[in-house]
Amino acid sequence: MTITESDLPGVGKKFEIELGDGEEMIVVIHNTGKREVFRRSDPEADSEKAFEFSDDLARTIGSIIEGAHFQPVEPDTQETTLPGGVLLEWYELPPGSPLVGETLASADIGNRTGLAVVAIQRGDEVLDSPGAETTLREGDTLIGVGTRENCEAFEEILTE
Amino acid sequence: MALLDVGVMFVAVAVAGALANRLGQSVIPFYIVTGMLLGEYVLGRLALPAIGTAYVPETEFISLGAELGIVFLLFFLGLEFNLDRLLARRGPIGTAGTIDLANFGVGLVLGWLVFGAFLPAFLVAGIVYISSSAVITKSLIDLGWIANDEAEPMLGTLVYEDLFIAVYLSVASALVLGGGDVAAAAVDVGIALGFIAGLFAVVRFGTPLFDRLVATDNREFVALRSVAAVVFVAGAALALGVSEAVAAFFVGMAFAPTDRAHTIETILEPVRDLFAAVFFFWIGLVTDPALFADVAAFVALAVVVTTPPKVVTGYLAGRAFDLDVRRSTRVGLGMTTRGEFSLIIATVAVSGANAGSFDPALAGTINAFAVGYVLVMAVLGTTLMGYSAPFESVATSWLDRGEADGSGASG
Repeated sequence: MTITESDLPGVGKKFEIELGDGEEMIVVIHNTGKREVFRRSDPEADSEKAFEFSDDLARTIGSIIEGAHFQPVEPDTQETTLPGGVLLEWYELPPGSPLVGETLASADIGNRTGLAVVAIQRGDEVLDSPGAETTLREGDTLIGVGTRENCEAFEEILTE
Repeated sequence: MALLDVGVMFVAVAVAGALANRLGQSVIPFYIVTGMLLGEYVLGRLALPAIGTAYVPETEFISLGAELGIVFLLFFLGLEFNLDRLLARRGPIGTAGTIDLANFGVGLVLGWLVFGAFLPAFLVAGIVYISSSAVITKSLIDLGWIANDEAEPMLGTLVYEDLFIAVYLSVASALVLGGGDVAAAAVDVGIALGFIAGLFAVVRFGTPLFDRLVATDNREFVALRSVAAVVFVAGAALALGVSEAVAAFFVGMAFAPTDRAHTIETILEPVRDLFAAVFFFWIGLVTDPALFADVAAFVALAVVVTTPPKVVTGYLAGRAFDLDVRRSTRVGLGMTTRGEFSLIIATVAVSGANAGSFDPALAGTINAFAVGYVLVMAVLGTTLMGYSAPFESVATSWLDRGEADGSGASG
């Protein structure tokens, strides 16, 4: 990747970026903040102007190209904080979890941890307000509401 | 009424600028012609119905605005002038710029043949030598050549010319204001060069001082202090009998390495453009088109004699930067554009006449010649750049021996 930088006295700066196969992208940064982007198909050809941006727009476009502007966030545990410090949490039942095979009634999650299970995601369907007789299966995702302490307590019985 | 005069001036200049833009031409000749048409020599000679004679007089504001235009044009030149960068590329820029000096010799011979005296020949040499930074730079951007390899030799040669013209202007001012006496002129030139050396020392060692002067985030103060510095120093220089343009150039150079150089450029660019427009308008205002009849042959001769050498030296400058025949031809065509600096040199003669040290008739002739020459060369140069393709083909077929296999310079 060769990038040539040169000064344009009275105009600004020029960057020539080699893209391979003799193709080049040329960025002219004017002293006024204006950016011009040119494409040159081969070293002998003339540069063809492709875009012109204002300073602000150029920075935004630059961060999009850099991948910094839009980042699909993938946190370790998904959690959403509700007002009052209450969390909405997603828990997938791992293989070998003591909860697999239990019903919501026999697992007694609410009394043991304080976490209220409000929905269960099973494959493509979602069981909302699941009844006490619902049997938990491996791979189910439990969606629970509770304080951080409730969540921590639940995480213990999930894998113990 | 003075306010109305200034209002009429700005309205006319704004319309002329829009028209030039529509026609794809440089604004400079249009501003000059506007000034000429509205001045005492054209509009002032017409008997208008109902109001009799009315024209835009050369008020103090307009002539002072023109002076500020010169100061700001040169200030910006200095601001964008980076000595270290020039030295880093001194090989090719030095070669290209030195070849380009041949045009000064051509002008000297031409001026001597026409006037038969050294001083007017010296002024004519400057007028025909210096290409227009403003017009060429704008054309490069408009045509998209700025992203091509031909931009560097053109801008590099302009930087060399700018440095040369800074020294030249101070010598020319000293010669013109010192009268014709060679001994007295020698002293004046010595003083002028001493002043330049002093300014140069200020630029070299005074940067921390200038840096502190504008080390504020308040844009208003940055604008005020930089304008204060440049206008005060330029005014002081003029009071001492030294070229205000050169002083402004060096003040710009002193600000160039500071952290605020870019901010100053951004803030003051509209100020420069505004007063530069006043300067071009004023040039037209004080030029009597009736004098064109006397200098028409001289202008035509100068156009014919000075255009080909500029094309050739520009072409060689391109070759010095390792460009192929086609791109070097473009450099040659582009460099033919003359503009603001030729007019600034003409004002040296005019101010000499006002100071009583230079023959007014000769000053009028030189000014009319410079205006006529710039009107032709600004339009011609811009047009040659816009329609360069046929010239490129001819040059390639004539000169491209052994390069047709594509082994020309790359990158």
